[in-house]
Amino acid sequence: MKTSKLSFVLFVAPCLIAFLMVVIIPTFSGILMSFTDWNGIDPNPAFVGLENYVKAFTEDVVTVNILSVPLSMPRFVNVFLFTAAFATVSVILINAFGFGLAMLVTSGLKGSNVLRSIFFIPNLIGGLILGFLWQFIFTKVFNHIGTVFGIEFLKGWLSTTATGFWGLVIVLSWQMSGYMMIIYIAAIQNIPDSLFEAADLDGANFFHKMRNIIMPLVAQAFTVGLFLTLSNSFKLFDQNLALTNGGPYLSTQMLALNIYRTAFVMQDFGQGQAKAVLFLIAVSAITLTQMSLSKKKEIEF
Amino acid sequence: MKKLSTLLVMVLALSVSMFASSNKEGKSESGMAAKPESKNVEVNIFQFKVEIAQELEAAAKMYEAENPGVKIVIETVGGGDDYGAALRAKNASGNMPDIYNIGGPQDVKDWMNKLEDLSDQPWVNLAMDGILSGVTVDNKIYGLPFNMEGYGFAYNKRIFKAAGIDASKIVDYASLEKAVMQLDSKIKSGALSKEFPLLKAVFEYAAKETWVTGLHTSNVALSQELGNVIAAADAKTIDFKYASGLKKLIDLQANYSESAGNKGLLNAVDYSTQVDTGLGIERVAIIQQGNWIYGGINNIDPEVAANLDFLPMPVVGAKEDSIPVGVPMHWSVNKDAPADDKAEAKKFINWLYTSDRGKEIVVNKFFFIPPLKGYEKYQVADPLGQAILRFASNGKIIPWVFMGYPSGWGMDILGVKIQAYYAGTMSWDQAISEAKAEWEAAR
Repeated sequence: MKTSKLSFVLFVAPCLIAFLMVVIIPTFSGILMSFTDWNGIDPNPAFVGLENYVKAFTEDVVTVNILSVPLSMPRFVNVFLFTAAFATVSVILINAFGFGLAMLVTSGLKGSNVLRSIFFIPNLIGGLILGFLWQFIFTKVFNHIGTVFGIEFLKGWLSTTATGFWGLVIVLSWQMSGYMMIIYIAAIQNIPDSLFEAADLDGANFFHKMRNIIMPLVAQAFTVGLFLTLSNSFKLFDQNLALTNGGPYLSTQMLALNIYRTAFVMQDFGQGQAKAVLFLIAVSAITLTQMSLSKKKEIEF
Repeated sequence: MKKLSTLLVMVLALSVSMFASSNKEGKSESGMAAKPESKNVEVNIFQFKVEIAQELEAAAKMYEAENPGVKIVIETVGGGDDYGAALRAKNASGNMPDIYNIGGPQDVKDWMNKLEDLSDQPWVNLAMDGILSGVTVDNKIYGLPFNMEGYGFAYNKRIFKAAGIDASKIVDYASLEKAVMQLDSKIKSGALSKEFPLLKAVFEYAAKETWVTGLHTSNVALSQELGNVIAAADAKTIDFKYASGLKKLIDLQANYSESAGNKGLLNAVDYSTQVDTGLGIERVAIIQQGNWIYGGINNIDPEVAANLDFLPMPVVGAKEDSIPVGVPMHWSVNKDAPADDKAEAKKFINWLYTSDRGKEIVVNKFFFIPPLKGYEKYQVADPLGQAILRFASNGKIIPWVFMGYPSGWGMDILGVKIQAYYAGTMSWDQAISEAKAEWEAAR
């Protein structure tokens, strides 16, 4: 008993200390900072109470057209809505592509091992590099093809909110689909062959098998996949910075970039920190809801 | 439970003593290394100008050779915002460098308790008239200007000559517009296509780079309203009295660009599209940029680079024949650095700007327009630098005031509103009135 207690402490302590130092303490000092007007240098910032939180929902009002209806709202709300729209579209596309690719490479296709590597490679490239690569593709390559073949649609990408939005969606989908594919491959391969054999004997076609065997048994992987894509697309920063940097006129700015700019460009660290706290609460609430909802769909066998 | 807590305390104590001992080790090591040298000073420089990073490194090596025992460590992080953020991060983590860069009054205000008073330095008396105004507070001087820089409408002299336009006649907005229209009709009719096959438009304008629009273009109007950078830093409100003159410049650069039909496209034009694949390859004839483009264009086409010159940036109703000239950044010394480091840091920047070898580097390696007197032997070689000196010696310059804008106002507020204006989602009057309100709110 004595030794187990000792080893318990010895094993847990390093982890606990590290966790305290790099997660718990910074989180609390960050929350504390969100009640001040710190400018990043001043050693004695003034305490301003909830002002930073109020400012996030009242200041810097912008007018945006949502489905051609002009609406006025604070920049932070606008940024949140843009991020939410981006996350919704990305989560659907990434998981659809990832699952599709997983089905493709597990269907016994020739060269599927090579295909797996190819689909996974984009995930190994850093977000900043990807952003700049695709910026070149969207603004230079698309433009050139558009000019040569006279396709107006391909010109001026990233110069409007819509093309900026879809540009971001394309980059993240291209990057993350391969990763999701790996998760779904593992889940699909875990399904016992006997189930498919029995289904074949019963005369089930592909859609029957998909609906009644594959989908329910891959549900567990969907929980993980949805969680990863949802939290990643909400927290997206580097692709946003490299691809559009919020432009044109800050209309493609996402939450993380907005927080960064508030703190490091407008040099209002207290306000940035307040937004970061709100961001933390929102992302946790959304992902926890998603987890509990999709957990219900999982089945054991 | 009691045992458990004692154990926890012990583990904590152990880990603390481990950290402490490893710290001690580090110290004794550096102490040993110090022994062979009588003097061992390490000066840390954190600077923002990427273009001079290599040459500055070479200059530091030269200085180290002349001053044994001195080690100079240079770190470079480019770009305005990124540098400011990186410097704040360094300060927050307790790694404040000995020499760092500050922009203007706003930075001086922010960093005041970290700035060493440099009023007693030898270079102070050599400074050009009024050039230290941005870093002077209560008659104390807190920074040495990097250089003088200027911007305006940089144009290609060969194209102007081929189109039969006399640039010396362009002294106000009316004459500029006339010349632009004349050039535009020549380009559209194909009269110049034989000599300049790539030439597509008169202007290219990098509205994506909000420093080009929100800082530089706006400065032409605001500097004439506010007068100088100190006034800008103190102004609680602005009138934007030359807003219509500014609109003319913003419209002119869009209406005679390749994106005239769909001005929103300008929001995707970046620096390299404007400079390298714009003016550099003779796709356009005029761009609003500064003398810092010379090196880049010289690498693309030396012949184009040799034929560059500036046109004034005319704001209707104000001084119309001038270009804005100012100091982009200053060298300053950390007040809290150890005394030895501080003394050596001051000595190094003084050496760089006042010794003969330093002057040679500043002018011929950095391609700087010197901010100090006594550079008679070292002539500025590039045509854009010479053009700035020409404007300056004729008194046809207006100051830079954008260093005195509220933090982020120029780029993230005005520049962004100009993008919205180009995209058609905001009217000019709305953009200006909102920008004015934001200025007031920030102060």
